Amino acid sequence: MNHEQVKERLSEWLDGELDAAIGADVSGHLDACASCNAEASRLKRLGAALFKPFPADPRSTEAFVARVMARVEEDAVSAWERFAALFLAPAFGLALAGLLLAIYLPSSDDDAPLGVAMSIDADAVLGVAP
Amino acid sequence: MDEPGPKDGELARRAAGGDDAAFAELVRRHAPRVRALCSATLGGPSEAEDAAQEAFLKAHRALARFSGQASFGTWLHRIAVNHCLDVLRAAGRRRSESLDALLEADGSALGGVLSEASPAKALEDRDTVKRLLARLNPEQRLALTLREAEGLSYEEIASVMACSLDSVKSRLKRARIELLEITRHFSDADGV
Repeated sequence: MNHEQVKERLSEWLDGELDAAIGADVSGHLDACASCNAEASRLKRLGAALFKPFPADPRSTEAFVARVMARVEEDAVSAWERFAALFLAPAFGLALAGLLLAIYLPSSDDDAPLGVAMSIDADAVLGVAP
Repeated sequence: MDEPGPKDGELARRAAGGDDAAFAELVRRHAPRVRALCSATLGGPSEAEDAAQEAFLKAHRALARFSGQASFGTWLHRIAVNHCLDVLRAAGRRRSESLDALLEADGSALGGVLSEASPAKALEDRDTVKRLLARLNPEQRLALTLREAEGLSYEEIASVMACSLDSVKSRLKRARIELLEITRHFSDADGV
């Protein structure tokens, strides 16, 4: 295996993801080649330099839990407000429009503003005997 | 990983039914890992904190869809990973930042990263780390974080990122080459 082939596989070798036989070839080359071995070392150091372990602090975790739950509660309120805005408000608006139409819909009987055909017994009203 | 007491699946079932205490316990159990992932991927403490909170919020909204086929931890982890990817994509790739700007940040620390003279230690300046990682595209950055910070196997990374094994290999290789080139630049500049 030449230098280029080894360098091509260094990332997988570092992660232990090479096929056993190929991994052994790479390891063998690194043992014998200072330049490729130095490159492998640089790769290893890169990971350690960039990624620091995040310590789990119980007090910090509790504070985090409290913040998340506060947001969960806000989210529930917002969800209700969105539901109300999307469904309840238009439904209420439609119902109100329907009621207003029912009240003010023009009818053939001008004396019956409610639009209901009210049968008025004029004789009964005037006290005329049937 | 299930803790003593009710199992994660049982807590998730209760939380889906409106039991906030059950959800709070799930947050408590999984917060360290989610926060670590967001911190490692996004770099900036406030962005990481916000992303971690948002990941749990998304999980809470999606509880009704948690079927229990995967473990809750795996399901949550996938939500957190996808959220980090969304954040990185929204931020865009800052390739426009010049190497001179990076040198200004902390050139000697960058040069020292590859130095054999001192033991490998983490870069102290998180902003420098963030600037370095910002050179990568979101997928490369996330793959590298999952591998280096979380120790996931290639197969696990492929599963979490919903991509092929070849994509994982390629992303990791390119990410490392890119970062090596940058840090090598500073090593050469300092004559280390």
